Amino acid sequence: MSEQALIEFVTGQRWFGSKTRDAIHATTVDRALLRESEPRLELQLIEIGYDTGTHETYQLITDGGLDALGDPHDVRELVALMRAGATMSAEEGIVEFASVPGVTGAGELRESRVVVAEQSNTSVVFDDELILKVFRRLEAGVNPELELLRFLTEHGFPNIARLAGWYGYSGRQMSATLGILQEFVVAGADGWERALDAAVAGDEAFIDSLRRLGEVTGKMHAVLGSEPADPGFAPEQASVESLGLLMATVDEEIESIFAELPEDVPELEPIRGRGEEVRERLRLLTNLGGAGRVIRHHGDFHLGQTLWSGDDWVILDFEGEPARSLPERRRKRSPLRDVAGMLRSFAYVYSAAPFLRGSEPADDWEERAREEFLEGYRDTVDQSLVPFGTSMDKLLRVFELEKAVYELRYELNNRPDWVRIPVAGIVRMLEEEVPV
Amino acid sequence: MTWFEREPYWFKTAVFYEIHLRAFYDGNDDGSGDFRGLTEKLDYIQWLGVDCIWLLPFYPSPLRDGGYDIADFFSINADYGTIDDFKHFVDQAHQRGIRVIADLVMNHTSSDHPWFQQSRTDPNGPYGEWYVWGDDDTRWSEARIIFLDTEPSNWTWDAARGQYYWHRFFSHQPDLNYDNPEVQEQMLNVLRFWLDLGLDGFRLDAVPYLYERDGTNGENLPETHAFLKRVRAEVDARYKDRVLLAEANQWPDDVVAYFGDGDGDECHMAFHFPVMPRMFMALRREDALPIVEILEHTPAIPANAQWGLFLRNHDELTLEMVTDDERDYMYEEYAKDPRMKLNLGIRRRLAPLLDNGRDEIELLHGILFSLPGSPVLYYGDEIGMGDNIFLGDRDGVRVPMQWTGDRNGGFSRADFQQLYLPPLMDPVYGFQAVNVEAQLRQPNSLLRWLHRLIALRKDHPVFGVGTYEALRPENPRIFAHVRTYEDDIVLCVHNLARSAQAVELDLSRWEGMIPEEMFGRTRFPRIGELPYLLTLAPRGFFWFQLRKEEGE
Repeated sequence: MSEQALIEFVTGQRWFGSKTRDAIHATTVDRALLRESEPRLELQLIEIGYDTGTHETYQLITDGGLDALGDPHDVRELVALMRAGATMSAEEGIVEFASVPGVTGAGELRESRVVVAEQSNTSVVFDDELILKVFRRLEAGVNPELELLRFLTEHGFPNIARLAGWYGYSGRQMSATLGILQEFVVAGADGWERALDAAVAGDEAFIDSLRRLGEVTGKMHAVLGSEPADPGFAPEQASVESLGLLMATVDEEIESIFAELPEDVPELEPIRGRGEEVRERLRLLTNLGGAGRVIRHHGDFHLGQTLWSGDDWVILDFEGEPARSLPERRRKRSPLRDVAGMLRSFAYVYSAAPFLRGSEPADDWEERAREEFLEGYRDTVDQSLVPFGTSMDKLLRVFELEKAVYELRYELNNRPDWVRIPVAGIVRMLEEEVPV
Repeated sequence: MTWFEREPYWFKTAVFYEIHLRAFYDGNDDGSGDFRGLTEKLDYIQWLGVDCIWLLPFYPSPLRDGGYDIADFFSINADYGTIDDFKHFVDQAHQRGIRVIADLVMNHTSSDHPWFQQSRTDPNGPYGEWYVWGDDDTRWSEARIIFLDTEPSNWTWDAARGQYYWHRFFSHQPDLNYDNPEVQEQMLNVLRFWLDLGLDGFRLDAVPYLYERDGTNGENLPETHAFLKRVRAEVDARYKDRVLLAEANQWPDDVVAYFGDGDGDECHMAFHFPVMPRMFMALRREDALPIVEILEHTPAIPANAQWGLFLRNHDELTLEMVTDDERDYMYEEYAKDPRMKLNLGIRRRLAPLLDNGRDEIELLHGILFSLPGSPVLYYGDEIGMGDNIFLGDRDGVRVPMQWTGDRNGGFSRADFQQLYLPPLMDPVYGFQAVNVEAQLRQPNSLLRWLHRLIALRKDHPVFGVGTYEALRPENPRIFAHVRTYEDDIVLCVHNLARSAQAVELDLSRWEGMIPEEMFGRTRFPRIGELPYLLTLAPRGFFWFQLRKEEGE
């Protein structure tokens, strides 16, 4: 096929990430034959070169046409290769398939359907039992989702969709995770949607279930910090500078966003002109004894990453913040970042319910949600991972403030109607007593 | 493993940070900095906004010249760790998007190097012709002596071999013989060895002196350039996105030759030495002319090449590339105590040179960051560290990094007596007054200011890749120039005077545009037909982005 046709095909896909850049080259940097019998199934790594001299690598699975993932027969082949633990040679490397015994299953896969909602990957669901996620844009290194799912699966952490298998490439150019197979949660209700419904309905059982979500989160962190002998997961003491670096980073973000608050957004009134006050608050909050330990953690934790399966919570999507680079997403950080993410998620439920569900939650809904969640969390988390006593409360608020400031910028740029949510969060932190 | 997207011109917009490994952070409590320690501090370096770390030599060495006397090119000084520590460090740096280049001395080795020892004792053996030997110590007398304070001649007698050996630097650093193809090949092996381990390039120390020829001063010879072309071709053929940075302390006309011919086929970067002392001179004289003139006399460079710009580094502030009068002036102004002088230079750090004046430090960084080139910062200068002129040679500017106000400045948990050099403890520059931890927490600290400056520069590729054009206002105390890259037009105006100044700038070409001050995003009045009037605080500077009027 011509280079031009390849460029057009790749850049025309919804999973192609760099739509604003000018692709000028496309080359197959490596290929591996996955099935010899007709129709031949082939894995191709395509390098797309841009006019700026930079490049990206994409994964294609082809069977004569350009994309075989829509073909049930072909995608099943990928699962079969995982079950067989196959290693296929590519021209400049190898493609290795692996499965987790006891999860992958052995039965025949009958039905398969491609999930359409996704942007950067292609996912295929088999018989409502397994879901295969094929990464399109490849990044060098171990994918954090594979790493975390594998660790949690191997350590028997129950509140996830377990890892069933994966496949990856290692070669001269790069090593990269190509795809992940995991259990499919059938009857799960999206945590975010459920929270909105519950908030306007005054559903007490839901508030109670948030204590359980706190417990699950605490346990997840305890498990992730439980292997001192595994260098990839061993908890580490936060570095001497970490608190200073955090403080400086958040402080400059506050300074810069308050310097350019737009005049014509009335929702900003409660915080307008209060930038120095917020910075002062940050200074008080960062006066603390220590930052605890850093571990691998979820990385992008909010209600939208949870499912309620009917009797318990399932935590999803361990990929980390998509905007960050892969090594960045694999960095160990304080587990309290996850906690702060979830607390901000409650603030979003409280403030967004009137838009999205047309009625107001009870005034104390957010407060109660926070309390329940935090109590559950404190009950189960390994205390050695978090700072002691009020230092934990202060550090948690620093992360919440960081998130709220980030949200403020995001909403100003993208959803001006939602600006009042981070504004309310910032006001809340200004009015609250500093924990002593 | 490739961590980076391919980006062949990364170095053109990069901020470099020069680190003396021994001085940075002690990771194993033995009193001396090492790779493990440096790895622990990568988060700080990433936060600062550094794109590329430049490491001083870390090879085994008797350390008679701070490690520039290399005794083994294929290994790591045991004080600094192991090859595995090095690989881990490079990997961790790459994970944070930071590249790493290292010093490499191609011109000479330590006299302790086994090659030299064999060359002296076995003239007919395999290393007999690896160094430059002669029976006559008057040959090549046109070549100047660089280390004037310590070396009477470029030749030293070796009793074992019964001949003189040639050395452009210290007598314990014999020059390698590049007329010998085996030496050339071996040096290429050295480059390949480190590039294969993941290093992103080299700062090539003392490149002008590789060859010697009768009737010449032995600098910048055609043979030297030919060898550098060979090095570049080797790097381009086998490695991506690497950089060669030449240290050629020469006049700009000679330095540009190190970028090679045509599209640039030697070094990617070279330091611009002459502009450095002139920034200090301009500040003392309150006159922009020295900077404007030297840039006027700087030839154009290939599109794929870049200047390395710096205020201070690990050496003395070199005054080789100034006139005798200018040198006298610099000594007079910046080295009042004779102890501050070394060879043709001044062995002081940035903050003490500027009497710790915050405005002056900011102004010089402003000028440095606005000039065409990539800035190279020296560790410790970002917090305004001082020096210790009572330590020998250049050790005074190589003291431990000051991390905290705790014991040993947070540099090491070893006993004080064990430290390789004492940290600064004086009331002005000592670690209790000047340290990273405190400055991170103070929003108005030098560190925090510099962090913003770096971020601002990185937001605007124009500083790395744009054209440069000096404005010549009537007020000589103002250094004003315009950088342009596509639609990004930046006007930089610096007041070199100790007093407030007004200046009228001819901006008629940009009539109708609005200057927006880049730090505070304040909009200034529209540029009209008449000269544009600005007033600047003492030692103050403004950078403006020239924007089209809204609605146009």
